[in-house]
Amino acid sequence: MFMAEPVVRAENIHNCFGQSCVHQNLNLELPQGEIVALVGGSGTGKTVLIHTLTMLRSPTRGKVTLFGVDVGAAGEKTRLDLRRKIGLLFQGGALFTGMTVLENVMLPLREHTRVRGAWLEELAMSKILLGGLPASAAGKYPAELSGGMVKRAALARALALDPALLVLDEPTSGLDPIAAAAFDDLIRELVDSMGLTVLQVTHDLDSIWTGSDQVAFLARKKVLAMGPAAELAKRDEPELVAYFQGARSAHYAARSY
Amino acid sequence: MTQSTTESTQARIRASIEDERVLSLYLEGHWRLADLQGHFAFEQLINIPTGVTKAEIRQPPQSLDSAGALEIARLHRFLQQQGIELKLSGLQPQQQGLAALLIERNPPEKSEHPHQPGFLASIGLRVFGIGREMNAFLAFLGELAARGLPAVLAPWRIRWREVAGEIQAAGVRALGIVGLLSFLIGMVMAYQAGATLADFGANILIVNLVAIITLREMGPLITAIIVAGRTGSSYTAQIGTMKITEEVDALKAIGIPPFSMLILPKVIALMIVLPLLTLFANLMGLAGGALVAAQQFEVPVRIYIDRLPEVVDLTTLMLGLVKAPVFAITIALIGCMQGMRVSGSAAAVGRATTKSVVQAIFLVIVIDAVFSVAFNILGY
Repeated sequence: MFMAEPVVRAENIHNCFGQSCVHQNLNLELPQGEIVALVGGSGTGKTVLIHTLTMLRSPTRGKVTLFGVDVGAAGEKTRLDLRRKIGLLFQGGALFTGMTVLENVMLPLREHTRVRGAWLEELAMSKILLGGLPASAAGKYPAELSGGMVKRAALARALALDPALLVLDEPTSGLDPIAAAAFDDLIRELVDSMGLTVLQVTHDLDSIWTGSDQVAFLARKKVLAMGPAAELAKRDEPELVAYFQGARSAHYAARSY
Repeated sequence: MTQSTTESTQARIRASIEDERVLSLYLEGHWRLADLQGHFAFEQLINIPTGVTKAEIRQPPQSLDSAGALEIARLHRFLQQQGIELKLSGLQPQQQGLAALLIERNPPEKSEHPHQPGFLASIGLRVFGIGREMNAFLAFLGELAARGLPAVLAPWRIRWREVAGEIQAAGVRALGIVGLLSFLIGMVMAYQAGATLADFGANILIVNLVAIITLREMGPLITAIIVAGRTGSSYTAQIGTMKITEEVDALKAIGIPPFSMLILPKVIALMIVLPLLTLFANLMGLAGGALVAAQQFEVPVRIYIDRLPEVVDLTTLMLGLVKAPVFAITIALIGCMQGMRVSGSAAAVGRATTKSVVQAIFLVIVIDAVFSVAFNILGY
């Protein structure tokens, strides 16, 4: 068995825009079945990193390995197969505004499987319910949904093909604390029951401290540190101290001692 | 975790009675989307003797994804309807979690479809839709009058910076296409007129024909149609996208009426630009006519120019130019109105842009016809 093989491995990643680089010699590994929070200040390239890891952008230099496959060397067909194993939740949801929620969720299923008709609808509906939406939301257009419902609908679409890797870009931003906690619980439930690996960009302290197994901390153009939040809080790099001992974070750290 | 195998093992279910009251279920193969053949017809696959109250899974599937778990959820519901309780304890631990999740959030058997209107109802809806559209245009025209007149009386409050930007976008950048098309149409008219007139030796009358048609009809009309397609559509797309991204609401929140920021500058700019573009189109049309007349029909350019003042006067020019501001208001208002009425989706922006161009060109031609009739009655 290759259980030890990480789901995602990024080696010596450089991401540059002209002369300025947001990432230099960045390394990151995501172990299977864990929820990893990706944190860092504004402008540290969290979204760029996510796009690099999910094949939406090629790194300027470096190697990305997904499920043991070198992405840079892979052909179009292999890349498509890899894409189907990745569910991506965009920051703003990125639901197709001209389609209902149900049609949004059915789209990847219709495109990539031979499922049709009532079965297709029922499968999509089950994903919508899995995402935590009521069945009545299925026929609505994205414009008719609240912010929290958009996130859940986008999650339902990300789950449509039973991905092995779920990448979430700020899943709980814009949600009230109760809804955010419910979202964290939902992700945990899905990870436990479906064997998912999750990478989530988040600023939500609850998500970082209780909703994630490990925290990957972006600073100095690389992953400065990775480990459980309680461990990172004890380290003495100035960026980590500022983040974890700052006024808002301090009481989480205090609680964990 | 099992990786996908090359030979797919079809998902099957087998049931037997081993204990008096317990139904034993064997879930064979991979219960995954790729291996399922569709919904299981449990009512045909499993026959249940009376007296059974429990069902147990004796053999878990080799693998399970959410599509397979959905089947277990359907099985659970089917058995429940027969008064039988399905126990999940026979599944592997992770499978239990997934199956429980799907059972808890089991979709209803039939999802209801939105009500589709009938034939008569859809005709009615279309008629009311057209009525609403016309009503909206009139309301918009009213708003322009109500808000525009005070602005014109206090011109220092007009946003001239926006007006200048719109003039550049709608006017200066359109010079090339308007000029080229007008030139070509002038040429075409001269060809068609010349072919007939030359038979009668009346080549010189090409000047009359080209000059009158260009100044009174072709210049204003072609310019308005090009601007409707080029600028009216961009107004709709811009304002429509701003509606969707809440930029219009942001303007309101900052205390800037969208009308004064977005719409009035566009209307004013187009009213300034369209007559000027028309004048330019007239010139280019006459030039196109002159070229063909000289090359093909032996009417030298000098004679062409000499003859122009004899066949057309300032009135002819003004009869064409006076239409331009009216076209301008129509195009700008329809473009802005369709943009402001966008709501919801990216597709709505596309639909509104189409509507904007179609309606603007339609109205421009209708208004042009009305002008022709009116001028005729007035004796011009």
